[in-house]
Amino acid sequence: MARAWADSLIKAFYIAKKDAKVYYFKAPNFTYGLLIPVSLYLAFSMAGEINSKLVVAGLTSLVMLFGTTSIEAVAVVLEKQTGTFERLLAAPISLFTIVLGKALAGFFFGLILAAVVLFPLAAVSGTVVMNPLLAVIAIAFASMAFSALGIIASAYAKWVPEAQMLSNFLRFPMVFLSGTFTALETLPSQLQVVARFLPLTYSVEALRSSIAQPAVTYTYILDIAALTLFTIVLLAISTKILEKRIA
Amino acid sequence: MGSAIEAINLTKYYDDLLAVDHVNFEVEQGEIFGFLGPNGAGKTTTIRMLTGQTRPTSGSLRVAGMDMVREPNRAKACMGVVPEVSNIYDEMNAWDNLIFAAQLYGVPKNERKKRAKELLELFGLHERLADRAGNFSKGMKRRLTIAAALIHKPSILFLDEPTSGLDVQSSRMIRNLTKDLNKNGATIFLTTHYIEEADQLCQRVAIINQGKIVAVDNPEKLKASVEKHQIIEVSFDQTQNLERMLASLEYSSKVVQVGDKFRLHVRNTSEAVPLLVDFARENGLKIISINTLNPSLEDAFVEMTGLSSEVMAAEKEQGKKAASLG
Repeated sequence: MARAWADSLIKAFYIAKKDAKVYYFKAPNFTYGLLIPVSLYLAFSMAGEINSKLVVAGLTSLVMLFGTTSIEAVAVVLEKQTGTFERLLAAPISLFTIVLGKALAGFFFGLILAAVVLFPLAAVSGTVVMNPLLAVIAIAFASMAFSALGIIASAYAKWVPEAQMLSNFLRFPMVFLSGTFTALETLPSQLQVVARFLPLTYSVEALRSSIAQPAVTYTYILDIAALTLFTIVLLAISTKILEKRIA
Repeated sequence: MGSAIEAINLTKYYDDLLAVDHVNFEVEQGEIFGFLGPNGAGKTTTIRMLTGQTRPTSGSLRVAGMDMVREPNRAKACMGVVPEVSNIYDEMNAWDNLIFAAQLYGVPKNERKKRAKELLELFGLHERLADRAGNFSKGMKRRLTIAAALIHKPSILFLDEPTSGLDVQSSRMIRNLTKDLNKNGATIFLTTHYIEEADQLCQRVAIINQGKIVAVDNPEKLKASVEKHQIIEVSFDQTQNLERMLASLEYSSKVVQVGDKFRLHVRNTSEAVPLLVDFARENGLKIISINTLNPSLEDAFVEMTGLSSEVMAAEKEQGKKAASLG
């Protein structure tokens, strides 16, 4: 059993490595992954609604969300479109291994984008990350949850723009409901409840906690647990959807 | 010898559509087995089930002695799959494509490079190993796809239209390779629209039509089953209006023009040949060649499916054009 899991994980890494070579440098990953979050940030800042202490965690989470869901839109849909998905299906691996491999590709892409944004942004804004290790852990868990979310949106799509559009239905409401550029507490109480069903909320909260607190807080632990739960549930749903789509 | 593939009452529904209807056949270890049928007959769905890409709705399927539903991954490890459309990664080079295939199939790390090198040499791609596959010609992509399917030395190889749209040289190379792999013990499951190719290569063929297997036998027996007609193939020094004139002859039940030749279906060739010579003399025609033909596998196919291979190939081309435009 343990050997089968290890084998599955190794093959998922091979798929992620292949996806990095094939899909990382496709244009939509940069337009959606960097340009849209930065544009949103600029829009908020021009409206004078940006709290500079909140922006580092918010923008980093947003870049990860848009980047990982964009790479999934490209990596899942193009694979289906070009017929290479059949190569994976014909190989002696489970569908879950394929989904895990896709999620890992998004996960690593999210890490790269977070590093590109977090460190320069922290330096420019003069923000000190109190516990960098906790920040890295929060980024890793958030990146994986967002990737799994991206696979769900892409599993239904036949074309990359269609997948991006479906992802937008999930991404844009999150931008406004997850306390990305403003504190969650400023939202009406009903919307605060809705925010608790969105993974971006936990990513922003965990990152803010690691920036502000040197020690692990109870909220931080709950945030990481919530992101883990999101990842497990979203990966299981993605596998089920793809299973149904290819049946 | 045991069975490499055993399908019993294999059935597949897509919602209410019955795509494969209680199909039964067995492929012996070490044989080249042809799987023929017109578009929409259930061929692709059957292959997808055989290769574990979709689950049967009902029925049992064993590949390499393993149950495809219960142990799909163990069965898939024994097979190589070459789909109809080459599905290598255009963005990666030939070498990386093969290494990735080796990784997926669990080829030990110390053997991957050696195996990839051997295959690139075998397929004449070793000088282009660092080139992006997207820059390859159609024939080269096909060769690389087959090489990737062979990286783990499978005992069963599924070849779906392996020579479709290829130049003569690449087609011949792939046919020879198919024979060589079979000589070395591999079982080959071949689908092709070129019925002549199936006749040349396959020890047995199955014909599927409207989701049902209509015949499974060796090509010679299938040909013998349609021997009620005899065929004379004749060519004259001109072809204009001849098809209509030949069709009006009493002793000919059917006339088909094939290039500059005419195939006449007759009841008795020994009676028809002198009459045909008289016809030529009376109409001032010179006979260039005249032969009696035995029924071909294509005749058997047409008889069993009601569809000629030309129509089948045309459908196929239309399908491909639609797919590339869509």
